[in-house]
Amino acid sequence: MKRIVVPAGRSKSVPLLFGPAVLAACLSMSCKVQLTPESIAKSWHAYQDAKKDLTPENEYYVGRSVATNLLSRANYKYVEADAYQSGELGKTTAYVNAVGNVLAAAAMGMPRKDDRPSPIAGWHFVIVDDDTINAFAASGGFILINKGLVKAAKNEDELAAVLAHEIAHTVRGHAIGSIKKSRMAGVYKEMLNNTVQLDEQQLGTLTQAFEGAMTDMIDSMVVKGYSRDTEFEADRVGLKIMADAGYDPQAFIRFLDGLEKKMGGAGSGGFKSTHPSPKDRIAKLKAEAAKIASVKAPGVRTERFQAAIATL
Amino acid sequence: MKRVLLVLLLGAGVALAAPKVGSSVTIRVLSAKVMKSPKFIGASAGSVSRGDQLMVKEVKGDWYRVEGAQSGWIHKTNVTEGKVALSSKPGGSGGNVNRDEVELAGRGFTPEVEQKYKQSNPNLDFSHVDAIEKTSVDPAELEAFAKEGQLP
Repeated sequence: MKRIVVPAGRSKSVPLLFGPAVLAACLSMSCKVQLTPESIAKSWHAYQDAKKDLTPENEYYVGRSVATNLLSRANYKYVEADAYQSGELGKTTAYVNAVGNVLAAAAMGMPRKDDRPSPIAGWHFVIVDDDTINAFAASGGFILINKGLVKAAKNEDELAAVLAHEIAHTVRGHAIGSIKKSRMAGVYKEMLNNTVQLDEQQLGTLTQAFEGAMTDMIDSMVVKGYSRDTEFEADRVGLKIMADAGYDPQAFIRFLDGLEKKMGGAGSGGFKSTHPSPKDRIAKLKAEAAKIASVKAPGVRTERFQAAIATL
Repeated sequence: MKRVLLVLLLGAGVALAAPKVGSSVTIRVLSAKVMKSPKFIGASAGSVSRGDQLMVKEVKGDWYRVEGAQSGWIHKTNVTEGKVALSSKPGGSGGNVNRDEVELAGRGFTPEVEQKYKQSNPNLDFSHVDAIEKTSVDPAELEAFAKEGQLP
């Protein structure tokens, strides 16, 4: 560790890595950089962990682009797209967004330490017209859930388990946490800049970092998957969210059990490549679910679920 | 060895304490409902937009009773005690912001960066995400939905 001299006789230890990183950024920006104590401290934090330093605004903009890229992969085919274009939610989408927003309210009302702030443009649950089983939580409150996954749920409480897992990915910052620290170098350099208006070169550097961040996020969501621990955390937090919202936590276990049967044994590609097996997830989650009182779901929840998804 | 002066930002990264009664807060999210009671689901008094300023009259946990463009309750995650840059709203001015406002809005991935990204990726159609984010679920309808489903 390297000691850094602080005014008024105070001192603070910071990682040795910090010194070369700041120096490299200063050199690359030449005379345009005006180092201030505040900017140095801010940059140190930025270098430590992008997840902690990207603002809700940053997260929103990268989330919009990640969602657009994911929709583009689905040829922009999503359920009740026409209604969206009229500024409304269609019947099925309105239902899924109602369940999603009840859960989001529970997540925001009982936040955990280090949860991300609420998305600046609210929560949006989009049903992608794709029969494969998968869902994606882009940052910024945009959640894309494949039609196949909605149909894999047997009732509203099981759908709530799916959505709560995705909300958990968002509030825990898993997507933006997957951005490589090296990608943040461009953003980090810009943070050292003390001018209000960005010049073309600075804008170019930031855009490059923006594209890189999206590549990392999409890669984690679609190709490589998050770590097993990250998925287990999304299950654990999702379970708590759905229970806080009043849904039956045992429905999460039942949904995973149904998924295990539906997806069969070994295989690869898509959801199977990016998630631990439902069997492993159940093993991890069962003890947690047992700690929370089970709730008997009223028939009306299943009835409205069936009515809402009938057209899928 | 080069010596670097560092002022510790002791409060950085730490959640801010609740604002004082009588102080003002600014709406941080693009739009928010001011609620008639301190909860996310239920009747709202009306909507407020990013940049609107409200006076804090009472603090109850994470909820603030406010007066201003709308009067009622707003959750702490929807507001900031600092300023926000309106340029952070899609279609915002992008200009006429001072350094402090830029700092508070956060640097990094901004509308300008998104615009530049769009220019270099003209095949991507952002009209879908634009339309999606314009929709919302009314909190009063959400209350009826929750009540019907016996969700507390």
